[in-house]
Amino acid sequence: MERRDFLKQSTLASSLFFVPNFVKAFENVSKSTFKHKKLVIIQLSGGNDGLNTIIPYTNDIYFKNRPKLSIPKNNVIKATDELGFHQNLAPLKNLYDQGYVSIINNVGYPNPNRSHFRSTDIWQTASNADEYLSSGWVGRFIEKYGKNPYLGIELDDSLSLIMKGENMNGIATKNPNILFANTNTAYFKKVLEQQTDAHLSEHNLGYLYKTMIEAKSSAKYIYETSKTYKSSIAYPNNPFGNQLKTTAEFINSDLDSKVYYVSMGGFDTHANQANKQSKLLKTYSESVEVFVNDLKKNDTFKDTLILTFSEFGRRVQQNAAGGTDHGAANNIFLIGENLKKKGFYNEAPNLVNLDTNGDLIHTLDFRSVYATILDKWLQVDDASILNKSFSKLDFI
Amino acid sequence: MKQKHIQHLYWRASFGIDIKQIESLKSTSKLKVVSKLMADSTEFKNLELDLSEFDEIKYKTNKELKEKFTEEEIQKLKNKKNRKVRDLNYAWIDKLGESKALLREKMTLFWANVFVCRDNEIFSIQKYNNTLRKNALGNFRVFVKEVAKEPSMLKYLNNKQNKKRKPNENFARELMELFTLGVGNYTEQDIKESARAFTGWNFMKNGDFILQKNQHDFEEKTFFGKTGNFDGDDIIDIILEQKQCARFICDKVYRYFINPKVDEKRLEEITNIFYKDYNISNLMEHIFTSKWFYDEENIGVKIKSPIELLVGIQKVVPVTFDKKQQLNYLQKMMGQTLFYPDNVAGWKGGKSWIDSNTLMFRMKLPSLLLSNAVINLEEKGEFEDSFEKYYKSEKKQNKYLKITKSWESFDEKNQHLKAKEMIDFLILSKLDKDTATFLENLEIKSNRNFCIQLMSIPEYQLC
Repeated sequence: MERRDFLKQSTLASSLFFVPNFVKAFENVSKSTFKHKKLVIIQLSGGNDGLNTIIPYTNDIYFKNRPKLSIPKNNVIKATDELGFHQNLAPLKNLYDQGYVSIINNVGYPNPNRSHFRSTDIWQTASNADEYLSSGWVGRFIEKYGKNPYLGIELDDSLSLIMKGENMNGIATKNPNILFANTNTAYFKKVLEQQTDAHLSEHNLGYLYKTMIEAKSSAKYIYETSKTYKSSIAYPNNPFGNQLKTTAEFINSDLDSKVYYVSMGGFDTHANQANKQSKLLKTYSESVEVFVNDLKKNDTFKDTLILTFSEFGRRVQQNAAGGTDHGAANNIFLIGENLKKKGFYNEAPNLVNLDTNGDLIHTLDFRSVYATILDKWLQVDDASILNKSFSKLDFI
Repeated sequence: MKQKHIQHLYWRASFGIDIKQIESLKSTSKLKVVSKLMADSTEFKNLELDLSEFDEIKYKTNKELKEKFTEEEIQKLKNKKNRKVRDLNYAWIDKLGESKALLREKMTLFWANVFVCRDNEIFSIQKYNNTLRKNALGNFRVFVKEVAKEPSMLKYLNNKQNKKRKPNENFARELMELFTLGVGNYTEQDIKESARAFTGWNFMKNGDFILQKNQHDFEEKTFFGKTGNFDGDDIIDIILEQKQCARFICDKVYRYFINPKVDEKRLEEITNIFYKDYNISNLMEHIFTSKWFYDEENIGVKIKSPIELLVGIQKVVPVTFDKKQQLNYLQKMMGQTLFYPDNVAGWKGGKSWIDSNTLMFRMKLPSLLLSNAVINLEEKGEFEDSFEKYYKSEKKQNKYLKITKSWESFDEKNQHLKAKEMIDFLILSKLDKDTATFLENLEIKSNRNFCIQLMSIPEYQLC
């Protein structure tokens, strides 16, 4: 952000700062009833190898580039004439067969960065490759349309950049009991109990008190509201399954939160990829299937959209260690009941026309995906959240 | 000097000051206090780990290494070497709390967030850190030129790959955007031309800078309206001719050392000082001796960075971490791990340190450090981790920090303080009215206890 813009924004923000919340809420009433729509974002952290996930099983170039790592045709769960699922994605294929999945190929951005940190920043802030933003796109959504941090929940103990706004952030918790307990520790509680009225016009001190009060009320709200529903379906017993289980409990308790962010680790497969990725895809797809069933059982699936992405794909050519190195464009998954374009949204990856690193070239900008979700699903003004207008896609 | 002013000075120029030192400075004039602060920073020690066990992989070629070790042994040694950056992190935190060169250490931390760099190679990142330390109070012109030639920087911003036939503009762009001028104060053409001047910049195995003549573009370049056969140093000189460069750095200094809200008139004042000769010491001395630095509006209004918070507490009650990894845990939970900045733009600081989760954690930090409080939150895994490792600590609920505390040292200095004196000593910010009432009605069991309580109110987050 330009310094001048930043100054402008921060003065604007500070003048907004003490406008009572109810006034702010009126200002930002959304176009219509986005009220019940939920978005669940899953990041496959480390860079998932998209080509061994959705496999171009009839493409010779794929097999030539991966003599050791390619998935034999017979092991692929075929979906189209060109593409099929990894065999451990059978649960995802089930969802696909029911018309709940839309796969968008070749998603990325110009001048792709191959550092996990930087590329995650870019995906999370929705910036250009040469631009540094200090707020995440979900954070900006929360800031613009929310009164409380719980509008966006990260299923973790600390908050990622994606959930951070400038003056209002989401909140992180993988266990509402612990979160609630932590806002009830001796000093936090005692200091807050003393607070009588509107706080301090002091710049930073006011911000601290405001954040503290919001933290406390969000923690209380999440804790008390989410008590009403406990999942009875058995989830795969692993941390990712638990994250989704908690998410389902939040959604099914009718928590007023709109966006959930879950990060699943382990996808940085530079060596011995085959086994590692197989396991990961199994964990991912089994957990997601149970999650969808849990939501369906409670009639909340119709209002939930699940986006799965990774900070980058991996190189077309395998490396010497039985793995793949950091790449560029990749596929993303959208899962929901109301998809307009079910199955494969666009063309299969082009393995002939690669960039100078030997990586897939993107044909769709990831911010078009965000813009579409913001506009058509959450029904808010996408351009003001993404700082720019991006062409919309047609998947919902 | 007034107590509050001494504290203000020492919080900004360092990480706070203990009550005994405050007492000893009260009768001294501001000029003398500041000049001693400056003088104390002339001598300093480098941050250095014993890395002798890695000498062979540092100096030997791959071929020589393969003659002596197996592939596996080399990999093992390299992995071990890469983990040393963590140790350097712990050593740096210790140094921040212990060094006598107070201002130099604080400035080193400041510059590390201006000339942001990240490198897993221990030799080069250690060298880089010491280059920051050496120049922290020196001449900015020399500073920029030295940083630009550091192996870590040549790697981090791809200047190493910047070659005559295939220029890489990354360093040239960030040099202007983030290190010297700020966005919008140069053209795309300036980037292209200056990138050519930095072609062929590289380093040797021992870390020394080298200009690879066959990769360098000796042709004419036009940069900021000037034309000549410029090399990288010339480019830096031309950048520094722009007053915007002095302003850009002074703006960062202002936000970090004076007030997150910039007073344009004061900024202009210090910019003029700095622009004269780019002497960092002079700039800092001017700020610390000026009357307005001690204005009420500048005191206790800055949100402490996680490192300032952590080191500041240790200055009051010295602690040692029996398990150094727990220092890493604390930094991760609060969002600032030294040597691991998020990206080349560095930590934004200020309000961005604070969200619901970090604030709860930060307010719990004093009891975690000083009264064996239990914590049940886990840090995030790393990108490179396997699935199992990513969630590794999942099951280790309810941990506490293994720490040795020197309460005796605290008692010796602070035992005699009355409640009001304790508040004045620990809290620089204005007190929220309700919190003040709360403190007044608090039954004080001991000063140890009261110290932890005071460190746990929101006001302690400010300095």
